Amino acid sequence: MKGVEQYWNPILETLPREKLQQLQLKKFQNIFKWAYEHSRFYHKLYSEAGIEPGDIRTFDDILKVPKIEKAMMRDIQGKDPFPYGDILCVPLTAVTEYRQTSGTTGQPIYQADTWQDWEGGAEAYCYALYAQGYRDSDRLFVPFGYNIFIAFWTYHYAGEKLGCEVIPGGVLNTEARILKMQELRATAMGATPTYVLGMAETAIKMGIEPPKDLFIRKITVAGEPGGSVPATRKRMEDAWGAKVYDQAGSTEIGHWGWECRYQCGLHVNEAFYLAEIEDVDTGELITEPGRRGKMVITTFDRLAQPCIRFDSKDVIEWSAIEKCECGRTFRLIRGGVMGRADDITKVKGVLLAPAAIEEVVRAVPQLGDEYEVVVTKKGDIDDITLKVELLPKCKAEISAIRETLTRELRTKTNLRYNLEFHDYGTLPRYEVKAKRFKDLRKGD
Amino acid sequence: MTEYHIKEIAQKIETLKLEATELKKMSGGIQAIDRNIDRILASIKMLEINISDLASIL
Repeated sequence: MKGVEQYWNPILETLPREKLQQLQLKKFQNIFKWAYEHSRFYHKLYSEAGIEPGDIRTFDDILKVPKIEKAMMRDIQGKDPFPYGDILCVPLTAVTEYRQTSGTTGQPIYQADTWQDWEGGAEAYCYALYAQGYRDSDRLFVPFGYNIFIAFWTYHYAGEKLGCEVIPGGVLNTEARILKMQELRATAMGATPTYVLGMAETAIKMGIEPPKDLFIRKITVAGEPGGSVPATRKRMEDAWGAKVYDQAGSTEIGHWGWECRYQCGLHVNEAFYLAEIEDVDTGELITEPGRRGKMVITTFDRLAQPCIRFDSKDVIEWSAIEKCECGRTFRLIRGGVMGRADDITKVKGVLLAPAAIEEVVRAVPQLGDEYEVVVTKKGDIDDITLKVELLPKCKAEISAIRETLTRELRTKTNLRYNLEFHDYGTLPRYEVKAKRFKDLRKGD
Repeated sequence: MTEYHIKEIAQKIETLKLEATELKKMSGGIQAIDRNIDRILASIKMLEINISDLASIL
């Protein structure tokens, strides 16, 4: 697909970089002013920092704006206006949507949205789905329990906006979802990488081979790094006979990044968001490719509970690719979200990103999709164990697999692991986000 | 290469917004009008994000 028909908005998506930056600065000024004037929380934060709307004239000025983080939101919520606290910029009567974070890193954060904000979230997601080839001829299946978390709600609403037919598979169990997908010949779905692999495993047990017996040809994944981990992506694509696209977002931010059909990284939707990358230790702004840092992000048009310079702690890096083959000028992130700054931990004095272990495990074809990493302390010394599942009929190859794992883990993570081989199907399975990294040194 | 008439489109979007706002003022508080206009205005905002916001920089 070439030409303007590949874009949801051909004007915005191909805007020259200098115009895009002009637009971003203008939008940052607008949301800053809005929050300063309508939220007591932001007004106090900015007043204490001695900064007001007229002070934001350049991108350098943006760097002077105080960042916010989850802990600050936790402090204010539960107070008036209940339950959001004084971050709220609109009357409570204007709030039509409530969602909350999953609470992976602590007490959940409440998120208020007006209908317009909710429309904005779906609109941003439309850019992603359209870029991934979703069209009004698609029948989307959402194999997800619609609930208090934001995950895949926006996929649903964006699908409707695109004119797709959307099938809500919420309360069904995995087997029933697979049968319904087959019955209705669904062509696309959105899920976490963990669940995409789990569904394929269940389908096989039911005697259904997804590439042959189902009709899913596009899968959008979110919520975990797997969509941008090459070995995990390959497993998903092979299991389903479908293209798998990564997508990044969160409750507080919205859907800020996605892969297009050329899959050379995540495009940051810079018409809706300003993404900055900063050094985890020094806070220095990173603008060059190839250097990892944590993302600080601003959502431009979400008004009820603005997200301005939010320290997301997502670890990302800019891509060296200046212009994607798709023609979009939105900047690219290489390798998706690699994890959270909180998850990157030192083991035996070495920095470890759990996604690197996933890349090694999923590249070994004799191993199942599930694995678990457990870090403990024996005296003063860290100890790390990797539990994997051996596929049936591969037991004879255990020595060779052990050798491969040891070598690859050493190369990719600079660590030696205790390896535990388990029978296929015995490690825990997850429906949404998996918890495969357990750091017991912290009493986890 | 397709040519887009951004300023003209932005003008039409502005007209739509004014009409919708006027209609809400005329509603006499009928909820069936007010609430549907709110939804229309949210959709108009999406048009502004997609088009009108660009008009001043192009």
